[in-house]
Amino acid sequence: MGAKERTGGSFSVEKPLWRAVSAFRLLTVVYAAVSYAGIAGHFHDRVAGWVYLGVLGLWTFATVRPFSSHQRCNWYWLSTDLALCVLGILLTRAFDSGPGLVAGDPTIPTIRAAGAVLGFAVMGGWLPAAVAGLIVGLADIGEAGGLTRSDLHNIVLLLVAGIAIGYVIEVARASEQTLARALEIQAATRERERLARDIHDSVLQVLSMVQRRGAEVGGEAADLGRMAGEQEVALRTLVAEGLAPNPSYTAPAIRRGRGRDRGSEQPEAVQDLRSLIAPMAGARVTVSAPGTPVLLPGRTVTELGAAVSAALDNVRKHAGTGAQAWILVEDEPDQVMVSVRDDGPGFDSAARLGEAEREGRLGVSQSIQGRMRDLGGSADIFSAAGQGTEVELRVPRPRAGGGGANGKSDRSREGSST
Amino acid sequence: MTSDEQPIRVMVVDDHPMWREAVARDLADAGCEVVATAGDGREAVRRAPAVAPQVVVLDLNLPDLPGVEVCRQLMLHQPATRVLVLTASGEHADVLEAVKSGATGYLVKSASREELLDAVRRTAVGDPVFTPGLAGLVLGEYRRLAAEPAPADSRAPAAPQLTDRETEVLRLVAKGLSYKQIADRLVLSHRTVQNHVQNTLGKLQLHNRVELVRYAIERGLDDPA
Repeated sequence: MGAKERTGGSFSVEKPLWRAVSAFRLLTVVYAAVSYAGIAGHFHDRVAGWVYLGVLGLWTFATVRPFSSHQRCNWYWLSTDLALCVLGILLTRAFDSGPGLVAGDPTIPTIRAAGAVLGFAVMGGWLPAAVAGLIVGLADIGEAGGLTRSDLHNIVLLLVAGIAIGYVIEVARASEQTLARALEIQAATRERERLARDIHDSVLQVLSMVQRRGAEVGGEAADLGRMAGEQEVALRTLVAEGLAPNPSYTAPAIRRGRGRDRGSEQPEAVQDLRSLIAPMAGARVTVSAPGTPVLLPGRTVTELGAAVSAALDNVRKHAGTGAQAWILVEDEPDQVMVSVRDDGPGFDSAARLGEAEREGRLGVSQSIQGRMRDLGGSADIFSAAGQGTEVELRVPRPRAGGGGANGKSDRSREGSST
Repeated sequence: MTSDEQPIRVMVVDDHPMWREAVARDLADAGCEVVATAGDGREAVRRAPAVAPQVVVLDLNLPDLPGVEVCRQLMLHQPATRVLVLTASGEHADVLEAVKSGATGYLVKSASREELLDAVRRTAVGDPVFTPGLAGLVLGEYRRLAAEPAPADSRAPAAPQLTDRETEVLRLVAKGLSYKQIADRLVLSHRTVQNHVQNTLGKLQLHNRVELVRYAIERGLDDPA
């Protein structure tokens, strides 16, 4: 079963087994000859016995090569081997005179027959081994003219050995396949990563180039250039996060002490705020952040990220799609600050705040300010005519919440400085 | 800005031939003298002393030597040379390290030709070229240094600190304001804003050098034997 596929037969476990089968066949055929020499006197047709042994010996020595590995062997070799052994067993009765049989003399091939069964086991697993074993067993019974106690014993032994070795070879083959596949995948992954690094770098270069040249040529090319630029930023972010061991994804889950004022559903693991903000960069959005992780509780990161997205939406809505935006993330000992500035026309903050609020310019009120309040932080908006509008989001660090979890946030500071 | 009398001597270091040639051509077209181009770090370090460039336009992503190391060695042998980092990867840690070891400017490769030319000119006259991204990194680095526990060793240099004004200026740079806008907003002169920005870099580089020397002495690396 399943023996037709010639899988990695040259692998570690199978090779020694084949070698063992080969050696077993050679040794047992010699043993058969010695054994026959000892009992030849019982046979009435002694010469015929020797002739048979000669044929078997020749066959065995001639087939050392086919029986040395999975690739060289096939079912014809095995079947012929088995047939020859069975023939020998059956011939024993024909050559032997009555008294020998009764005395329980061994068959002419003796345990050489087991060699054929083992061949089946190593080739095809436990089922072919069982079938071959049964055939040999039946031949034995036929030779003896009935089921004797010692025959039964031998047959069971033969079956057990054949099935056990067949089973072992199946398991070995399966695990070797798994190992081979794993190695293959590993090699492929390593190669892919190497390629990815190179390709990413080259692609980044080309995209940057397209962007530059596109902008210089203008017109439709400028559009192409802009798109190339967006892809470049996206890809760069991806490469930076995917290849560098980015602490943002493996940040140790620093447990907060007692967060009584926060809901218990709050995810406790800290996250790097940058991992959420960095992907917002694009042709019109510049992100500036510290080089070290900005660690905050997971929920705070999510909410802050949403607030920044809302602020960016505001920029697009009110400062026009052509407006540039800058996001700055600042990590201070007692708070984290994110500012979103655009270069739109801006407004005179004191005078027109009310009007702006009516216009919905400060969508800040609901989605942004609400979120920040929930986090215990604040959102401020200010603007100077001609210098765009700026939204400043502040979130206190957990430590600021009193004596609750100061030790822990100290640790998180250390984590962020490594 | 203009340096018509004497062209700026520039060396371009980048492992991508296409990019290297494009940058070199742009610079040459704009009147700079491209004294050398190099495709890898060792070549750059080897050739720089002979051609004595004023500005090295350096890609940090090089096949043989880390760009940061190239920067360090260039600064070591030719302190007068100024390094402008031009990189596609935007790898934060690298950029910060390069700046700490002496690079005075940083530009992503997607910057326009005008931005590049402007950056090279400013680098040549000693003005630091800050992108908002670099300003954010430098701000973060000062805060990181300030947050580090004070070293037990009293000989260790104190962490450098920004004045309030410097912090203010740097934050505005990080938020994308031009020096002129910053000057307007803070009621300062353009030159003063530039000085503030320059100081923020200078302190960081000085601290880095002192740290390196201290490290070398601690490990006995200063022993010429």
